[in-house]
Amino acid sequence: MIENFLAGSSALFGDPVTIAIFVFGVIGGMLFGAIPGVSMLTLAAILLPFTAGLTPAQGVMLFAVIYCTGTYGGAITAILFNIPGAPENAPTAFDGYPMTQQGKSGKAVGAAVLCSAIGGVASALIMMAATEPLAQWAIRNIGPPEIFALVFFGLAVASSVGARTIWKGWMSVLIGLLIATIGQDPVGGINRYNFGVGDLAAGIAFVPAILGFFAVSEIFVQAERKAGGTYKAPKVSMSFPTFLELWMHKFAVLRSILVGFFCGILPGIGATLAAFMGYGEAVRWSKDKESFGKGNLEGVISSETANNAATGAAMIPLLALGLPGGALTAMMVAVFQMHDLQPGPLVFYTSPDLIWVVFAAMFYANLSILIIGLVETKTILNLLKIPFQFLAPLILMLATIGAYISRGLVLDVMVMFIAGILGYLLRRSGFSIPGIVLGLILGQIGEQNFAQGMQMVHYDLGTYFSRPICAILIAAGFITLLANIYRAFAPAAQPR
Amino acid sequence: MKKMFGTAVFAAALTMCGSAYAFQCAVGESSMDKPGGFPERALTMIVPYGPAGGSGQVAAAMAEAVTELTGVSINRDHKPGGSGTVGMTAYMAAPADGYNVLEHIDDAASAHALDSSVPNPAEDLIPLVVSQVTFSQIYIRSNEDRFTDWPSFVEWVKAQGGRATIANVSKEGSMERVTMRFITDATGMEIQQISFDKGAPRYGALLGAQVDALFEQPGDVRNFLDAGQFKPILTIFDERPGVFADVPTHREMGMEFDPLLRFRGFYVHKDAPADRVEWLQWAFQRGYCEDSYQAFNESKFMTVIDSYRDTDGAKELITRSVSQYRDVYKAMGLDVK
Repeated sequence: MIENFLAGSSALFGDPVTIAIFVFGVIGGMLFGAIPGVSMLTLAAILLPFTAGLTPAQGVMLFAVIYCTGTYGGAITAILFNIPGAPENAPTAFDGYPMTQQGKSGKAVGAAVLCSAIGGVASALIMMAATEPLAQWAIRNIGPPEIFALVFFGLAVASSVGARTIWKGWMSVLIGLLIATIGQDPVGGINRYNFGVGDLAAGIAFVPAILGFFAVSEIFVQAERKAGGTYKAPKVSMSFPTFLELWMHKFAVLRSILVGFFCGILPGIGATLAAFMGYGEAVRWSKDKESFGKGNLEGVISSETANNAATGAAMIPLLALGLPGGALTAMMVAVFQMHDLQPGPLVFYTSPDLIWVVFAAMFYANLSILIIGLVETKTILNLLKIPFQFLAPLILMLATIGAYISRGLVLDVMVMFIAGILGYLLRRSGFSIPGIVLGLILGQIGEQNFAQGMQMVHYDLGTYFSRPICAILIAAGFITLLANIYRAFAPAAQPR
Repeated sequence: MKKMFGTAVFAAALTMCGSAYAFQCAVGESSMDKPGGFPERALTMIVPYGPAGGSGQVAAAMAEAVTELTGVSINRDHKPGGSGTVGMTAYMAAPADGYNVLEHIDDAASAHALDSSVPNPAEDLIPLVVSQVTFSQIYIRSNEDRFTDWPSFVEWVKAQGGRATIANVSKEGSMERVTMRFITDATGMEIQQISFDKGAPRYGALLGAQVDALFEQPGDVRNFLDAGQFKPILTIFDERPGVFADVPTHREMGMEFDPLLRFRGFYVHKDAPADRVEWLQWAFQRGYCEDSYQAFNESKFMTVIDSYRDTDGAKELITRSVSQYRDVYKAMGLDVK
């Protein structure tokens, strides 16, 4: 493995054109990942035709690098402005933005940079060591019932995040789940709650919903404070987390690497579920659950470690089996095909040089997050000095463009503003915006897999429990639920 | 090594037989004057599916071919969702000036068959060209030992008493669901269809033995065929295509129904200016003949049968499909509007 890695590294850095492409991918991914709506997918779609003029290794490597750095890029805007660049950065905003408001933006951004790099590098190393056996294990043992059970397990802790009471936490999750049912059902294609509006048949898209619930509702909240004379501009903090602070979260990092990697390896799942599951596990294992959603550094650490840990993992089913896990990895298939190659088991025999250039590039791309992230952070944090009366319209404009541009539908802009108003009202009432977003995103993934799973077990719920991984996850989810209910009724919990 | 050799032989066979259908460009003129200067700017192509899927790829290949031919750029605007309804709605609302074209698949025909208020792509739009026509097959894992061919598969499925599974896209009224209905009616077997709307989990389900079989079109699983991982056991087409000469057709297996085909094509508003429509027809039909597009189609197994339909041919294909779907929907007891 080390010999191959060194060979891949020398191929990567032995050619100035390849180095230039690598640097372009690193910076481009970060930039496009950071701008809401204009995601790394946009950059990838623009670049796709140009990859025909590159060597196969350069083309695939470029996309792999964009994938790594683009997944990190959205964390910055999530933390500083409550605008997640992409759905996989949404859980980062849960605690990152409250930290910014508390004058701890430097710690949050520093942790995001470092943990994205750690998650990505760890994932790349595991990918290099065991791509083929891991891919085979995943497709044999993880099907729709297991994925549903994983989502159920994740949702079981969602009520603990950010709400005034556990019941409002649950109501928030249920609102998210309800919103997730809008549009065609994922298996039968039957329209639900679209009220004759054709565009709603596709359901509520993640990006406008997230922009509305986070960015727009936050502007309303801050505008209210400004009008009431209680607005306080967030203090710009340049202090990064200390080594000791990060060391205290070593188990959260390790846990998120495992969770993120596991989610990433599943075909069609990817970084979004990884980030939400990583965050959920941080809540589950914390002794101070109530602090999540209110500025707990571990929330940022867990989310950013997990989503970048999913990047290397998502390459495993792609390279070993030819199964792309998401839109960007699907575009990589097109890059392979442009050069008369097919990802899959044969590519390890037919193009080992290409594979190891890609592996090496992903490893170095994740290291680059650390270097470039630390350099750029000092500059980016100064954006917080922009006065609210200038910043708010700028955020609204960016959010509106971001909501529209992802699908080119005016409906999505309307959805964003409705979500913003709804989010504002619900926050005033003590409901949890993270809970709603968790319900919305996990609900869509969970429903689809539940329906597919039910078809696989012939509509016999009991059969779910005959699958060991599924049974363990569902049982653990129920235990968490019961523990939550106990805590809600326990006298010590009442003051909340 | 043995597997590698087998795979290589299979891949070589595919390559040799890949162009079984002799291609001849049906459009003679290699250039055409722009009517009144049209198009003066880039065209917009609405694609009702994501960029990475079959529609996204054929849209990109055709856009590239038309641009090579005419020098006119084509911006692709992907509007996925609702089995193509979001893209269709957006297209019908776009100006009918010839600058907006639509990519769509046979789902547009089946949607109209189920609900006549949905646009009929043969009448409410003008097909510029249908550039991909393909058939479906049933696949099993190559290392499967419970059954090895169609007869043994049917026998095994019947013995499972309805517990056997097949992965497909079995949304209400879809081509896959209707065809499976034909098959189960003809064979008397009962099989649970598992609907996966994305390719990767669908193919992963067969690779990982989560399901027993897969319903798919050959171009979409070509890499699994090349790698020797999937094996076709039934071709749902009237004759054996040369590439799959050893795979029986549904008719040979005693199933008498007209196969439903998967097709992808390009359309323009029916009330777009006639001279512009004529230019677009030339550009897209001639674009089909471009080397880059032909290479793309070959890589997708789209040269195995005749993939080309001009405007009249496309209308005939769509109209026949609508009629077929409507008959089946009524027989299935669906609410045909």
